[in-house]
Amino acid sequence: MRVLFFAQLQDVTGCAAMELASSCPIDREKLWANLLQKFPGLQAHRGNVRLARNWEYTDAATLFNDADEVALIPPVSGG
Amino acid sequence: MEIEIQLTPSPIVEKISPPSGLGAWVEFRGVVRAEENGAPIAALAYEAYSEMAGREIRRLLENICERHPCLAARVIHRLGVVPVGEAAIYVGVASRHRAEAFALLGEFMDRLKQDVPIWKRRALEAVPPSSKPNQTTLRTPPPHIQSLDEAIEKIQARCHLLPAERVPLAEAFGRVLRETVCATEDLPPFDCSTRDGFAILADDPSELFQLVDTIHAAGWQPRQLKSGEAVRMATGAPLPCGGLRVVMQENVERHGDLIKIPKSGSAPNVRLRGAEVKAGATLVPAGARLDAGRLALLATAGCVQPLVSPRLRVAHFTTGDEIIPPDETPQPGQIRDCNSLLIRNLLQPWPCEIFQAHLPENFARAKQEIESRKTEIERADLVLVSGGASVGEKDFTRPLLEWLGFEIVFSQVNLRPGKPLIFGVTGSRVAFGLPGNPLSHFVCFYSAVAIALACLKGESAPAFLRGRLATQLDEPPCPRETLWPAKLEYFGGEIRLQPLVWSSSGDVICFAAANALLHVPANQSPIAAGAEVDFLPATSILGK
Repeated sequence: MRVLFFAQLQDVTGCAAMELASSCPIDREKLWANLLQKFPGLQAHRGNVRLARNWEYTDAATLFNDADEVALIPPVSGG
Repeated sequence: MEIEIQLTPSPIVEKISPPSGLGAWVEFRGVVRAEENGAPIAALAYEAYSEMAGREIRRLLENICERHPCLAARVIHRLGVVPVGEAAIYVGVASRHRAEAFALLGEFMDRLKQDVPIWKRRALEAVPPSSKPNQTTLRTPPPHIQSLDEAIEKIQARCHLLPAERVPLAEAFGRVLRETVCATEDLPPFDCSTRDGFAILADDPSELFQLVDTIHAAGWQPRQLKSGEAVRMATGAPLPCGGLRVVMQENVERHGDLIKIPKSGSAPNVRLRGAEVKAGATLVPAGARLDAGRLALLATAGCVQPLVSPRLRVAHFTTGDEIIPPDETPQPGQIRDCNSLLIRNLLQPWPCEIFQAHLPENFARAKQEIESRKTEIERADLVLVSGGASVGEKDFTRPLLEWLGFEIVFSQVNLRPGKPLIFGVTGSRVAFGLPGNPLSHFVCFYSAVAIALACLKGESAPAFLRGRLATQLDEPPCPRETLWPAKLEYFGGEIRLQPLVWSSSGDVICFAAANALLHVPANQSPIAAGAEVDFLPATSILGK
């Protein structure tokens, strides 16, 4: 799956997007575990980052598939 | 409900028409304030997850519309750099009665600030105000000007900055940047290796190391290295963690996954994140002409639609019945036209669209010719007329410019060569009547037209530089200020100016060799060899 990072999260990851390989659907916990393994610095932001899957906010039950576009959304500040 | 959403790097237009036939049209513009967290700022940079932001805005509007029924909504959010005083967001809502529209708008803005993935990425620091002189309105102008300084002052006071536009990088070469572009990210964006070699802890005393990973240029493989561990690094590849140094591959002995590093040298060979530029630092200031290097920098920083000066529209007329095209053979009394080509080429450094035509030497017929070309002339930012600038019977440039609606600011400058120089303005459009002799063209272009171009485009005016006279300027005192054609050369690391011999303002041999104009104040010649002189570069080779 393709994972996108926005705003200050890019300062942590050093990139705006990455590919994360996953053969089967994974839940939020597993996704975070994979992300933190690659970017331990994201731990500090986890509490206020929302996850989006295919351009919609997710909830605790959402499963993430290999073909999904996943985005980590830090607190927004538009307008 | 009809919904229209735009996320755009372009400025939000001043006037947006409401849908017709509705009872209420409520508009809101969120404008960037001049300070952020107590510090003065010049602009805010916005970033969005555009695909999702559009959907989220639509979802919010539809959801709120269930409680506050409205008929239509238009939302425009600007992205990228938004200068202070300009709108970052526009929302227009139409409804039958005002209460629903106000309610929907208020709730929408609250929810937008919670849910729509758009971020104020960072504030850009305020830059000191530009030193361009204020526009001043002149009283009845004296038609004759006594010095070059005075002419330049009048040109700068009467030329307006043309409106800026956003263009793709590929079209921006030669344009003048009209916004200060700051780095939105650190450069480089991560700590990286400057050598092909092996990363180890900077203070690791080990001699033998176990190779635990290999990182190529595009690799991102964070890990905390331990004492005795090494990672193979490619030049430019991101380091796996902080506190490392890279030992060049030439300085190690490798046996499979075991590496021996003799204790020699401790150069870090690491380029730290932000070592070149910190996020928020100025990359290219407003007013800079975009050349190959600056455009490469904008591309690196992801500024793909810079705000720049527009392409200039120029209308250029030659006059004089003695003028024939260069490919014809002159009959007695005729000369070939070189001014059309000269003007076209002098304008090369400024991106322009040039329209050129020849006018008959008869005012009535010239007006007819112009009538048939009205569109090109009326849309020209700069009108140039070659010849007809003197006071002879057939010299009609001044009345012609007045007939075209230009106010004549001056019609003569006490300058040699180039005395019959005419300058006029109307609104934001500018006109020059250039004396017909090619050398006068050359001098007037660099000393007057180039000043106007700088004002129209928003860059600093070409300035006089200091150099040393190579040989004596052997000329009796002249009561007129002179711009003397010269050849600029470097000699012993110093700029030397060789005054050229010129017989008249029609001397084409002289100006074909000239690349600088020496400033000789009135009654100051002769000037001895080796004296320091001011000069105006008459070429773009001296650079930016």
